[in-house]
Amino acid sequence: MIPPLAARRRPGSFPRLHRRRASLIARLSVFVLSVMMLSFASLAHARQLAPDDEITSGALLLRARNGATPSAVALGTDMDVTITGLTARVKVVQAFRNTSRDWVEATYLYPLPEDGAVDSLKMVIGQRVIIGEIKRRASAREIYEQAKAEGRAAGLVEQQRPNMFTNRVANIGPGETVLIEIEYQAPVRRISGEYGFRLPLVVGPRYAPSGASATDAAVTRAPVLNPRRHADINPVSITVRLNPGFTPTGFTSPYHAIQIAEGSGSTRTITLKEGSTPSNRDFELRWRSAETAPGVELFRQRVRADDYLMALISPPESNRRRTPPVRELVFVIDNSGSMSGDSMRQAKESLKLALRSLSPTDRFNVIRFDDSMTELFDKPVLATREQIALALRYADQLEASGGTEMLPALRAALVDDTPEDARRVRQVIFLTDGSISNEDQMLASLGSNRGRSRVFMVGIGSAPNSFLMNRMAEVGRGTYTHIGDTREVITRMSALLDRLTRPVLTDLRVVTHGGDAEFAPADLPDLYEGEPLILLARTSNLRGSITVSGMLDGRPWSRRINLNQAVEGVGVAKLWARRRITDAEVGHRLDQVSAEEAARTIAQLGLDFSIVTRETSLVAVDRTPSRPQGARLTEEELPLNLPAGWDFDRIFGASAPDSARSTEAATDDPSIPFDLPQTATAWALSVWAGLGLALIGGLGLMVMRRRSARS
Amino acid sequence: MKPPPPPAAKGGRRWRALPTTGFMALSFAGLCLAGQGAVIPAKALLAQVLLERAFTRSQSTGAPVKAWPWADTVPVARIRVPRLKVSQIVLSGGSGEALAFAPTLVPGSAPLGHNGTAVVAAHRDTHFSFMQDLQPGDVVIVETTDGDRTSFRMQGGYVVRNDRFAITPRAVAPTLVLSTCWPFDSNARGPWRYVAIAQANLRA
Repeated sequence: MIPPLAARRRPGSFPRLHRRRASLIARLSVFVLSVMMLSFASLAHARQLAPDDEITSGALLLRARNGATPSAVALGTDMDVTITGLTARVKVVQAFRNTSRDWVEATYLYPLPEDGAVDSLKMVIGQRVIIGEIKRRASAREIYEQAKAEGRAAGLVEQQRPNMFTNRVANIGPGETVLIEIEYQAPVRRISGEYGFRLPLVVGPRYAPSGASATDAAVTRAPVLNPRRHADINPVSITVRLNPGFTPTGFTSPYHAIQIAEGSGSTRTITLKEGSTPSNRDFELRWRSAETAPGVELFRQRVRADDYLMALISPPESNRRRTPPVRELVFVIDNSGSMSGDSMRQAKESLKLALRSLSPTDRFNVIRFDDSMTELFDKPVLATREQIALALRYADQLEASGGTEMLPALRAALVDDTPEDARRVRQVIFLTDGSISNEDQMLASLGSNRGRSRVFMVGIGSAPNSFLMNRMAEVGRGTYTHIGDTREVITRMSALLDRLTRPVLTDLRVVTHGGDAEFAPADLPDLYEGEPLILLARTSNLRGSITVSGMLDGRPWSRRINLNQAVEGVGVAKLWARRRITDAEVGHRLDQVSAEEAARTIAQLGLDFSIVTRETSLVAVDRTPSRPQGARLTEEELPLNLPAGWDFDRIFGASAPDSARSTEAATDDPSIPFDLPQTATAWALSVWAGLGLALIGGLGLMVMRRRSARS
Repeated sequence: MKPPPPPAAKGGRRWRALPTTGFMALSFAGLCLAGQGAVIPAKALLAQVLLERAFTRSQSTGAPVKAWPWADTVPVARIRVPRLKVSQIVLSGGSGEALAFAPTLVPGSAPLGHNGTAVVAAHRDTHFSFMQDLQPGDVVIVETTDGDRTSFRMQGGYVVRNDRFAITPRAVAPTLVLSTCWPFDSNARGPWRYVAIAQANLRA
């Protein structure tokens, strides 16, 4: 290859042309032609140099690790939950044990309830306890990075999503164990007379739709162990101390076996029967009140100069015999790869149950989506027996594969072809695991296109993205139902379907009398039978009353609550702050407030109430350096379990929509052929060949001129 | 030497005019060809300047920015090889046209910096001529428009036929594949490709 290059550089000899032009023409032409010849020769040369078949006969495959490998840092978690009244205080202790001979920095991605407020970080190293401080996110990061570089032990809690956090622990010595204790506050849910608390234990791998921001997707991702190759890791033990203020009864824990010990009065202690569980599915505990009517429904807490209120507003008993409204229902079902396995079966069963519940006057449509989308009918049709039979057959043949592009499906579902038809209630029911990372886009789109539609989210699987589900339901003024097990399909879905036919209170408003109060949520949802509204407020003078008003069965309804009745509650202030943060985030996503304003509000609330938010983080730093100078620090991203019921191959075989299809085509071979584009321009060849031609032409012309001048 | 007779002279002039036109046409065609060839590296260089600007803007605004109004692709990342002092903007894989301006992310591969295999291709005689100097162990830094920075370590280079290459969609760690035509100093189009494979440094 070198000869042509060297030859090309020789045109430095051009000036000599002056003297013996004519005689040189021939030589130069030969030279130029030889350059061209040599260039062409390289073609042949290329063929010669082409490697033997032994190298290329087997296609070059990039075989990445089939799932993550267990890391050098072992993690154990203990959760201690204290439920008082309607608030839960959760203490999470994560023990990071370094089993290697290196100094390690460990990063662990874990879920929390999306309405939880993390407000405390403690780090225990040997005998020392280091208390974390709340800082703005950037400065917390800086403090942590500096400590990490200086070899001091440090811990950092950051929010990646409102329900997804990371803990980073730097400089864990060889063989050392570091305990990280975080505490958070979360509200207890109440639906249809039942109380429930959910401890999310695993983050499901999320699909990053095309066009989604890469950083954004990167932080919501951690290595995932292939359950077929590795035993489950990250064991969790759970203790729930329940003091509901009434005698609890009817305990259920749908996903884990539990043990209940009775304490004094109405207190109960609930533990896992097995002692500990691998963190591969969420823990849920539900209970009921043994008494008929719950007593106090108004709690308050005084922090600094302000009072914080939490009120539970139950909708009134409505007339059960009134005729259900005429409805238009759009069912949106997710058949992406993350839904494969149990989730898809649950979603199909739920959809079929819903289809069978339609009455002939209802109109309906079914939309399915993965990375593509299909609408069963062009526009909603009357729910005749034939149409329902068609939809049922359609539901049966759905199969889970591909990516999760939820946005086009949402847009299609919100298309309302009869917006002026006030008689018909428009309801959109989403059946999905919400494993996407472009939550913002979804919420923004829903906020601007919701129109009169009410959006109901049905979360499927062992670890749905409940942040997305709750916010979607809230912005869509509907509800969120979670189905974690195929056995729950009938009970949960029929409760939802029943609820859908009975909106009780609509157009809710809150007014204060004789005092001021800042309410959260700012945008009040419709109330359905059996679902109380949890209203949080801050007030500087706790007196007077608040009035909640709305429309009940088409007639105005109102209820007055006297603020003097409030009883002392725990953690109300933090819940209020958390709720305000959510409002600011949602407000920004719906373009009601600017990004800067939302960030300012959130940062201020975070610092005032010492809560971890997207703008504020908790950081703890040891004063004395422990890692000797020069010792290397290894970074470990702790692998996660795959949520129970998920299919590893489907998820990681379907990381890109295109490749997912190809994988299905050739299931025997995990690799897919990849066409590498033609990447040769041969510009040098055309430049040199062109110059050569021009040169020959030019020289020829010169000779011709000289000859004609002579003659 | 005796001058030729007039009719012959007339014929001679005509005979002489023919090669003049021929030579003129030859040099014109040659210049056109050379110009066409020279436009390619010029375009490649100029485009990088515009793309660099668009990429910086895209990084600060967080939204995709087109380098020129009629562009059908947008810059998605900056790829740097500090040892070779290479810094180039990568375009989203759109049409084959994009390859003239910048390395492109080949459609069908994973997004840069994500789990999965991202394949970036460019011409061997413009942007990716540095690939012949790549060595195992070289650090390749990929910066995406949203400021995400992933550092890759070169594992090695392989010569493959374009129809004998495959990636596994199951890659759990980010993997970067740089691809260009082979051999480097050939001017012929052929089926051979040179691919360099780099794995993300998860622990460095």
